[in-house]
Amino acid sequence: MSIVAEAANPIIRWEWVVDEWDQIREALVQHIELTVLSVALGSLVAAILSAIALRYRPMTSPITGFAGFLYTIPSVALFGLLVPYFGLTRTTAVLPLAMYTLLILVTNTLAGFDAVPSAVRDAADGMGLTPTQRVLKVELPLALPYIIAGLRIAVVSTVGLVTVAAIIGQGGLGRLILDGLRRTFWTPMTIGAVLSIVMALLLDGLIYGLGRMATPWTQRARTT
Amino acid sequence: MDPAGTDDVTATLFGQAAVPRDVGVFEFLSSSQYWTGAGGILTSLWDTVVLCGAVALVATLIAVPLATMLAHYGRGELSVTWIVTLSRAVPTFAIAGLLVPISLRRGWGFEPWPIFIALLLLALPPIYLNTYTAVKDVDRGVVDAARAMGFNERHVVFRVEMALGTAVILAGIRVAAVQVVATEPIRAFLGGDGLGRYVRDGLGQNNDSLLLAGAILVATLAALTGALFGVAQRLALPPGVRRLARARDR
Repeated sequence: MSIVAEAANPIIRWEWVVDEWDQIREALVQHIELTVLSVALGSLVAAILSAIALRYRPMTSPITGFAGFLYTIPSVALFGLLVPYFGLTRTTAVLPLAMYTLLILVTNTLAGFDAVPSAVRDAADGMGLTPTQRVLKVELPLALPYIIAGLRIAVVSTVGLVTVAAIIGQGGLGRLILDGLRRTFWTPMTIGAVLSIVMALLLDGLIYGLGRMATPWTQRARTT
Repeated sequence: MDPAGTDDVTATLFGQAAVPRDVGVFEFLSSSQYWTGAGGILTSLWDTVVLCGAVALVATLIAVPLATMLAHYGRGELSVTWIVTLSRAVPTFAIAGLLVPISLRRGWGFEPWPIFIALLLLALPPIYLNTYTAVKDVDRGVVDAARAMGFNERHVVFRVEMALGTAVILAGIRVAAVQVVATEPIRAFLGGDGLGRYVRDGLGQNNDSLLLAGAILVATLAALTGALFGVAQRLALPPGVRRLARARDR
């Protein structure tokens, strides 16, 4: 296949976008679904791991070490390793993506809890809170800004990695990129790449906004 | 790179290294016929190593001097906060995808410029961040002492700030190198080859052994890169700094 005449193959051809809107919308929905599933699974596991590390301090470095090890496994390799076991399924895409979120989520959660001043902890105990109440009502809210910062990074990087999941046939915006490459037709490729970047920015802004609403005191502290 | 590149597009994208499906993973990795020759493991490995090496080198040459100078003169503090957030989120696949049409239009072919630039964007932040922090965190007292002993600015930068920061700077290069090696295999899905090709071909030919072997090769190279840089990190410490570290341990 030689390169189609340049005039016929601009970086973006708007008629295609209109004609193939259904396909684009489907890719967008799949992309969001994969991102949400992966980050949700990752958050659940990260919460459990963080709780273990906070309760049993010596477990901290094995846990972060394990998360760090998972993070260095190349995504293409991890998808490839799981395909023979789970096939070209959503599971094969979500498991690695969830694993990659663990490092940032656990690190930030632990940093958040470590940043709680010990005086605050003592005060909570002095007011007669049980350890469970202290964790849920005092430490967790104070750690929340760190956890949200970690969540933002996890979501943005997952949106980027979901494009790679297209290589195992899991759709999403990466499929548009691959289609465009295979046919050397740039419109789907540009659409896929640009939308994935825009989606990352939008989701980042969304979580930032939700985070501000969840931690109103951080604004109050700054303005006074 | 190769002049025939653009016409071979489909050939590389659907490149079928005819591997029979009944060849086991171990057999594939251990028999010499798959290691040598065109499209052999050695050739693919070399492709990957050359590209990753070039990316790491260029990223180091850009990020280390820039971050050192900015940190030395106490500028660009804000850049650090921004880059910390951005660095974990570089969408390499999307960036490389966007660059392919541009590269083809300029007659540079499918490869290697789009993936090179996308990987470079991935490699710059960790090196920049570590260098900046390393130089910034050097004890001001030490810098003052060096000045008082008659060191000029250049000596302060090279023999004090960078020397004391060596370990942290090298750690940044290590993180960058591992990330680059771990991400480079997507090149096989962007019209190139490299070590990722076996994963691509394994998927394309529905050949699990080839797929697993490819995944193992890619993961091993990333792990080896981390380990090698770990050793290099220790060996490359300036003698004075190593003596200092040893004295502290005692």
